[in-house]
Amino acid sequence: MDNKDIKAEDLVWIFGTGRSGSTWLASMMGESAGGRLWNEPLVGKLFGEFYDDMLPRSRGRDTFIMAEANREAWLEGIRHLVLNVAESVCPEAARESYLVVKEPNGSMGAPLLMEALPESRMVLLVRDPRDMAASALDRHRKGAEAYEHAANYSPRRKEALAKNPPDNRPGAFIKRQAHRYLRNVGSSKQAYEAHKGHKVLTRYEELRANPLDTMRHIYAELQLPVDEEQLAGVVEKHSWENIPDEEKGPGKFNRKATPGGWREDLTPRQIEMVEKITAPLLEEFYPT
Amino acid sequence: MGSNELKPENLVWIFGTGRGGSTWLASMMGESAGGRFWDEPLVGKLFGDLYYSGAGTVQSDWDDFVYARKYRDVWLRSIRNFVLESASVRFSGVAENDYLIVKEPNGSIGAPLLMEALPESRMIVLVRDPRDVVASNLNAREEGGWLAEQHRNAARTGDGLARRNPNAAIKRRAKRYVENVGNAKEAFESHGGHKVMIRYEDLRTDTLGTMRHLYSTLDIFVKEEDLTRMVERYAWENIPDEEKGPGKFNRKATPGGWREDLTPEQAEIVEESTAPLLEEFYPSREQGNYG
Repeated sequence: MDNKDIKAEDLVWIFGTGRSGSTWLASMMGESAGGRLWNEPLVGKLFGEFYDDMLPRSRGRDTFIMAEANREAWLEGIRHLVLNVAESVCPEAARESYLVVKEPNGSMGAPLLMEALPESRMVLLVRDPRDMAASALDRHRKGAEAYEHAANYSPRRKEALAKNPPDNRPGAFIKRQAHRYLRNVGSSKQAYEAHKGHKVLTRYEELRANPLDTMRHIYAELQLPVDEEQLAGVVEKHSWENIPDEEKGPGKFNRKATPGGWREDLTPRQIEMVEKITAPLLEEFYPT
Repeated sequence: MGSNELKPENLVWIFGTGRGGSTWLASMMGESAGGRFWDEPLVGKLFGDLYYSGAGTVQSDWDDFVYARKYRDVWLRSIRNFVLESASVRFSGVAENDYLIVKEPNGSIGAPLLMEALPESRMIVLVRDPRDVVASNLNAREEGGWLAEQHRNAARTGDGLARRNPNAAIKRRAKRYVENVGNAKEAFESHGGHKVMIRYEDLRTDTLGTMRHLYSTLDIFVKEEDLTRMVERYAWENIPDEEKGPGKFNRKATPGGWREDLTPEQAEIVEESTAPLLEEFYPSREQGNYG
């Protein structure tokens, strides 16, 4: 049924969660070794959120569209949709390159996507949840980029932000971000552990400390050939130091890129909340 | 593309809203005129939620989005494939001319996408007074109600809202009504295939006559004696007494019962939230007629 030219093995998925460096990583990969970028299709959110949110009783009904009894059929349906849309979005990927799918905010669907596309490659990008929460809070404060973008783009989001801005109740905002992290990174980890194909786990902090070596490691693990000179050029092009000063700083998409910056950004109570909610993942990826 | 077995024109979708009488209608249709019954696959919810109440509301101009406007025909083909393949696997023994009745009230948010993906399909929009829908739902969620029992062990956020804050629960149900019935209506207006819109109140008042009208409009042949038998079998009066009443799935089946069930304030919340649909389907003479 893969009637298009693009192959499942041509897809390289980046899972994790938002504000974890996936834009940076995807930008580098989308310009290296014949890579093309599919930027946040949210196909993982489409299937994953629906499936996760369903009551166990509803999921257990054999008439349910994603019933266990018909798992093979609907996984085939997911595969069909992903490959067909991917082929349309990026037809050149089918001919000469691979397609990097940046999907941090659709990571709750990672287990379903990787089961439907077992030949695909996957990157699990992890960042300290305390830095992720601090970054998200900064970016959603009134006047900051994400706040203004959302408010200008969606009347509904504008209303929600006006009613409950993160500035008024930062604790509640941080709590939601921590739960989001737990869901997205937890699902990504589940997919990673089950996936039999080429895969690599990368920490943002390592990528930040030594981007070239970490990128070499990623390509090696994914078994994707890459030209060393080209890779070095792309890493240099997208380095933090080469982002113009006016495009980085508080409230901007590129904020501070400083691992451990949460110690300055979050209150002790906020830190405790994030640590408590994300404990299972924090202990595994960032042991004390 | 699609299934070799199940023809899209043999799918008959029932859209509307939960607590709108769709179980009753689907039960009658699932046993008439070679009908088979697919009970709430929720495929409309799967594809509709993200498009209509999630990122789709703001991101369809984003070419990388899975629901990008630019690639609409591509993802609609995939939705079509998804539905037909799933239906064919689930109903593998279906005869060539059998109809598959898809009861999908709680997936009606996705009705426009489904009907655009499957333009040959038949569709029914079943409408019920939102005040009765909300009253019925509220009753089901009260302590001991059938829905409250189902959710008891599910630990869902928001459950128990009907008991803690009935007015907030009513507002939420009314909003859900607008999403589902509003989108079912939108799909109905765009659909070029066989379609019929019926009101629960008409089905309740004259079941046989309404069913005849329904089959005739959908251009589906049904034997009169089969139809009569099914209507009789599923009549409210033939449901055992112990299976109906407050808190049960079969509650009261009394159009206008909301006047006894909702407070004036609650009725007003529903009327305000659902105003455009209420005015269209239940014109003003039927509103504000409290007590």
